[in-house]
Amino acid sequence: MSLRPVIVGGGSAGMGAAIELAEHGVDCLLFDEASRPGGVVYRGPLRAGVDLGYLGPRYTKALTKLHEDFAACAERIDLRLNHRVVGGDDQRLMVLDADEQLHEIDYSHLLLAAGCHERNVPFPGWTLPGVILLGGLQLQIKSGVVKPLGSTLIAGTGPLLPLVACQLHAAGAKVAGVYEACSFNRIAKESLALMNKPQLFLDGLSMLAYMKLNGIPMHYGWGVVGATGDGELQEVQVAPYTQDWQPDMTRVQREHVRTLAVGYGFIPRTQLSQQLGLAHGFSEDGYLRAECNVWQQSSQPNIHLAGDMAGIRGGEAAMLTGRIAAVSMLQQMGKLDAEQAIERRERFLGKLAAIKRFRSGVERYTARGAAQIQLPQADTVICRCENVTREQIDLALEQGVEDMASLKMRTRVSMGDCQGRMCVGYCSDRLRSATGRKDVGWLRPRFPVDPIPFSAFEQLGTEA
Amino acid sequence: MNKHYDIIIAGGGVIGASCAYQLSKRHNLKIALIDCKRPGNATRASAGGLWAIGESVGLGCGVIFFRMMSSRNKREANGAAVVVDSSTPHILPECFFDFALQSNALYPQLHQELIERHGMDFKFERTGLKYIIQDEEDQLYAEHIVKQIPHLADQVRWLDRDALRASEPAVTLKANGALEFLCDHQVSPFRLGDAYMEAARQNGVDLYPNVNITGVLHEGSRIKGVRTAEAGEFHCGTLINAAGAWAAELSEWATGESIPVKPVKGQIVLTERLPKLLDGCITTSDCYMAQKDNGEILIGSTTEEKGFDVSNTFPEISGLVQGAIRCVPQLAQVNLKRTWAGLRPGSPDELPILGPVDNVQGYFNACGHFRTGILTSAITGVLLDKVVHNEALPLDITPFLASRFREGVDKQLAHG
Repeated sequence: MSLRPVIVGGGSAGMGAAIELAEHGVDCLLFDEASRPGGVVYRGPLRAGVDLGYLGPRYTKALTKLHEDFAACAERIDLRLNHRVVGGDDQRLMVLDADEQLHEIDYSHLLLAAGCHERNVPFPGWTLPGVILLGGLQLQIKSGVVKPLGSTLIAGTGPLLPLVACQLHAAGAKVAGVYEACSFNRIAKESLALMNKPQLFLDGLSMLAYMKLNGIPMHYGWGVVGATGDGELQEVQVAPYTQDWQPDMTRVQREHVRTLAVGYGFIPRTQLSQQLGLAHGFSEDGYLRAECNVWQQSSQPNIHLAGDMAGIRGGEAAMLTGRIAAVSMLQQMGKLDAEQAIERRERFLGKLAAIKRFRSGVERYTARGAAQIQLPQADTVICRCENVTREQIDLALEQGVEDMASLKMRTRVSMGDCQGRMCVGYCSDRLRSATGRKDVGWLRPRFPVDPIPFSAFEQLGTEA
Repeated sequence: MNKHYDIIIAGGGVIGASCAYQLSKRHNLKIALIDCKRPGNATRASAGGLWAIGESVGLGCGVIFFRMMSSRNKREANGAAVVVDSSTPHILPECFFDFALQSNALYPQLHQELIERHGMDFKFERTGLKYIIQDEEDQLYAEHIVKQIPHLADQVRWLDRDALRASEPAVTLKANGALEFLCDHQVSPFRLGDAYMEAARQNGVDLYPNVNITGVLHEGSRIKGVRTAEAGEFHCGTLINAAGAWAAELSEWATGESIPVKPVKGQIVLTERLPKLLDGCITTSDCYMAQKDNGEILIGSTTEEKGFDVSNTFPEISGLVQGAIRCVPQLAQVNLKRTWAGLRPGSPDELPILGPVDNVQGYFNACGHFRTGILTSAITGVLLDKVVHNEALPLDITPFLASRFREGVDKQLAHG
């Protein structure tokens, strides 16, 4: 049994927690699946000698600070990179090491900070090579240091769109334009809420100014309706959206680009929190997330949640929630008394409040329109792993299927390798829209969270 | 507002759905099927083997069960620390062979019928089932099996080392041969359940998914209906208990007497999609393997009495993985995609519990199918349809009546 707290995920939440623990003299064990800590936001380039100037000075400063703080605590942090946590229960985690061998790791205090995945929004042509998700594209220019081929069109909703457009352009890639699905009026109304986070708002302003200066057009109230090409992307079709995102197909415009990056937000990872039997609820946007209290404590007192797993709020908020979770664990371990813990927590909560106000403004203007689920055609693939099309889902709904588990059995959606990470958003949207219910179930993730080789059991078997 | 039906079927697993389908074919009754999704639904956790002979002689899903029973019996007889003895096969009674074989024979026709009339394909595949002989004990076990079933000699074939290699090149070179059961095939289990269910719906059965039954209504010794948590009261003339691992509670509510149905947990391992690696279904002394229509290989299954727990436990998963690699060494190089667990509705004598009970009118059991619910769902639907309509049955239902347990108790009391 590890008496050290065990942290799953070495992004800003996990790193923040590890630093907070170390600063109070507590060692921890930290697992991350990547070859460098930092998570998708702060991993930095995977190879040396890269000048990240094109990502903006604010980002570069935050990146450097986090890694320096983390490095200063290195003695207290047992960092296991290239390790994947593929399952677990209320006593142990199942961890696949860098040599693809499986290990049982018992825990007493656990922090889950495994982040989120992107929401896939299917439309005709979304599976063509050249169509990628916005976060994935950003990761390529941040960590892989790979630029997309030819001209890139960005579509979706939210502040990540102009940010990635600027970063791409500064990195030397050509950006054909940004298509924000929400109308300008709706965003302007939220400007009061955005004022509460001046730094981000100013960045927002300067991003738009940068785009204007460099001739990157920004279209409000427009969205993608299709992508076509012979074996790879050649053309993207965009159209004006109504308030609930119904496209006006009489005004379709065509853009010739090699890359289409689509960003409709993120969904917390719940594969582990569900396997561990924690209590969950649904967000306004319809996604499942594990529940936690003001201490970032889950329904199990010895398991905490931090970062986007506990609700999508981005990298800076993740660092703060990681710190709060660590403070709670320190109190449980007797390293801080109640008064000290509350005082420290309040300091982090104060900083978090500004981010929360900003996020709630963003969430209101980026709320997805109900008509989005009508984008796919009858033959558009919804579940890429099992090749399930929209008409198969339509048929199942006509036949009276009302919940996720039944939809899975009837159509095989989510039975592939990704366990539904790609299609769960669309399927949940369709079921909720068809039944009018808020809770239509979610996918129950199974061990292992990602496929693992049979040979991974060799050592485990000899222990048994 | 109350709902009125001639028949209410409690349970939407493969058994309840088969009963609904068979009863709906006559279009003379108003039928409701009430189901709630609970973790451990055995239909969704099954391998889909139609192993009529294999399961009757303790292979397939029964292998691990048999080994467990055998080691427990021996331990009880000789004290602890006795090696598992697999030399005496665990053969089910004659009545079960008839039941299983009759059901098995219905599948080709049922497959065609559900495709043609209802557009539902449950992926019936003729595969055979091979018991792979990997050591002396396996050989003895196989010989015992053959001796016990002389009447099925035409459905059994010995494969020597070369013949096994020719038909199953992926099986270990260390295997000495195999015993093949020619009439044992496979289906996709959840597609079978869905096919019955959708066909029943097309035939006019009202489906109530995600509805929990919380009680049974009576009028004297007659069943009057059920109470539900989500959809109020349902009135009916006949209630069919197809509640799988949860059948004991419903029986208690309906008849005042419990039936000895207990959840028996089975854990299963699934590979990623693979090119055709296995020609037919495989059973060994460690596990069974069935490559499904989409290329995934399903490996099962443990037999554990853990109540309604459906967690996956790593030593057991590891045991299945090692057993599979021992027989098909190439599997060491493939990926494990998923594991899960289901709850078999186990009965003490491994026979299902079917038909009426004494002193209660309007109630029928269709439960306790243990590890052969997929295989015997076809005949169960046919039997229940005939029982409800009071018609001649294709086989004697007496050995499957719930009253057999009562008699057992009476006998024990008499002898005690």
